[in-house]
Amino acid sequence: MATRAEAPPIQLEQPNARLRRAQERLASYSMSAPALAVLLVFFLLPIYFIVRYSFGLERFAKNEAAAELTGELFGFSTALWRDFLGEGVDLALLGKSHLAVHLPTFVVGIVFVLLVLGAVFGRRLSERYGTWIVGGSFFLLLVPFMTIPAGNNLLRLLELESGGDFLRLFFRSVTMATTSSVLAVLIAFPIAYFLAFGVKKSKYTWLLVVIAPFLTSYLLRVFAWKVILGDQGLVNSALFELGLRDPDNPLSFLIYSQFTVILVLLYAWVPFIILPIFIALENMDRRLLEAGTDLGASRLQTFRKVTLPIAAPGIVAAFLFVFIPSMGEYITPSLVGGNTGYMFGQAIWVQFVGGTLNWQVGSVLSIFLLGIVLFLTFTTSRFLRQGGGATA
Amino acid sequence: MTSIPSELAARVRRQAPNRSRKGSTDVAMSRNGRRALIAFFVLFLVFLYLPTIMLGIFSFNTSQIVAFPLEGFTFDWYRRAGASEELKQALVATIWVGACVAVVATALGVLVSYALARRAFRGKSVISAFVLLPLVVPTVVFGVALLVLFRPDDPVIPIPLGLWAVLIGHVVIALPFAVLLLLPRIASIDMRLEEAAQDLGASWLTTVRRIILPLITPALIASLLVCLVVSVDEVVIASFLVTDQVTLPVYVYGGLRLNVTIPLLMPVATVMILFSSIVILLAEIIRRVGERRVGIRA
Repeated sequence: MATRAEAPPIQLEQPNARLRRAQERLASYSMSAPALAVLLVFFLLPIYFIVRYSFGLERFAKNEAAAELTGELFGFSTALWRDFLGEGVDLALLGKSHLAVHLPTFVVGIVFVLLVLGAVFGRRLSERYGTWIVGGSFFLLLVPFMTIPAGNNLLRLLELESGGDFLRLFFRSVTMATTSSVLAVLIAFPIAYFLAFGVKKSKYTWLLVVIAPFLTSYLLRVFAWKVILGDQGLVNSALFELGLRDPDNPLSFLIYSQFTVILVLLYAWVPFIILPIFIALENMDRRLLEAGTDLGASRLQTFRKVTLPIAAPGIVAAFLFVFIPSMGEYITPSLVGGNTGYMFGQAIWVQFVGGTLNWQVGSVLSIFLLGIVLFLTFTTSRFLRQGGGATA
Repeated sequence: MTSIPSELAARVRRQAPNRSRKGSTDVAMSRNGRRALIAFFVLFLVFLYLPTIMLGIFSFNTSQIVAFPLEGFTFDWYRRAGASEELKQALVATIWVGACVAVVATALGVLVSYALARRAFRGKSVISAFVLLPLVVPTVVFGVALLVLFRPDDPVIPIPLGLWAVLIGHVVIALPFAVLLLLPRIASIDMRLEEAAQDLGASWLTTVRRIILPLITPALIASLLVCLVVSVDEVVIASFLVTDQVTLPVYVYGGLRLNVTIPLLMPVATVMILFSSIVILLAEIIRRVGERRVGIRA
């Protein structure tokens, strides 16, 4: 700022213009500097340190003897990563085929290659192959889950000792996040469609009414559901009151289950993702619809061939807006998830402050989650920017 | 190079959707389809608002357990929550942290937004992506990373855990919000206004005070309010970094996990929800007013 003002008010000659440009550049850098300094010290540096923890370069224990007691690594090693990626899993113990055990490792390898590609060529890849990458990576992320036999026994808290199970826990979290994201989009789309095409008066006020709940505390909205769905909660007590259910036998799946986690995540994010879909529909040229009907297409055909393709980027953005934060979700599963709704974010929490303390293992989990999230963000930035620009 | 005809064509294209011959409703949905959508919309609003309304209603219920039927009307829970010394301290801590976060994040945000809104410079796209990055990093990961940075026995940076650490974490996650609110506003200021002021002999301080500040005041207030709410509502990072003195969300979260003080937490939750709704609505109104004020651009 200061340097800028010293420039003479009128520049006509070339050298002065160049000087002024240099001064402005300096001003730009010096004004960005405080924010960048804060981010470097309090955002990148801590993340760098958890990377160090994950390779055993930092540890909780003060010396080697103490490290042996706490079961931590002392000095650089990739052992924790190899464990995490499933190398240490005892095949006989799990009683599963070779393929089922090692598939997650392969998949993670592929995903990480993609992550590097995404970071380096992110924008170009996103412009050209964004849709394919989104589709492909979800397929890759879901495949290993499908190889896990039905039932949750595998994933109970107590069995999370070996590294391979963290990976499975991650894939299960992905499946839960996917389910709730897909459902959220399915609910948000008709609402956005209705607001864009069906509401004539004060459209934007209704939009605000729909989005407003998103702007209140996330924690308290989870709180509300805990009160509603508990064993003695509002739904169950209403059922007792109406005589539909015996007080000793409440609907127990309502709380502390995967169902609850998916429901609450969906509830928390639906208001927000109406926005990107609404904006995609609102910006659409309405004459295309008329052209469709004028050319003899039915409403359904017009919807399928015109509206849906135009809204597709908004829909993808909406999906990602729920999916990315849901993967690392921690508050919801810890309050309403119980054992079957246990998620990856909680495993991180447990390693750092809860029961089984091991910061190195926790760091491996954190970096893995961060990597996946950043990969998705880079490779889908085309969609996110569209939706993000809408919210800005 | 945009020629005038192409610009005109673009403008026509932009306005065209509003001047369609038939109402677009007829084409987009049949009458029955519209009815179905209205029904779905109403159901959706109930689904959206009922849980929090229930929370509000049951905060006035006399019963110890939160269950139907409602027993009787009482202010008792509010009185008890108001009398709790622990809650009062948590409230003070939360407001203190929130206010500091609002001021610091907005100050950093104004500077970086001003730099980003003006001419291109090398590294601009990297800086803008970097500033927005905290939006996508999972809060659990960022929380543990800060815990590692400030770990009490062997800190990388010697800041003790506690409210100061929470403040720092919240500044980082509030910064993107400040930039998202401020950048479009600053970018929409006609640069010639500043140049005119300087040509007329105003110092940079006068230019900032008389030209820039009045134009961005609504966005500044909106940013302060939004950053305040971001901090006041945040629980994950705070729960990793607090020590003895908790913030309000951490207090509520702890109570919910222990499952014992739920009736006492309901008035707290109700008041907090009302607080953030009002503040956010206020921010939105102020932002819109400001948009109208700088809306006309040459």
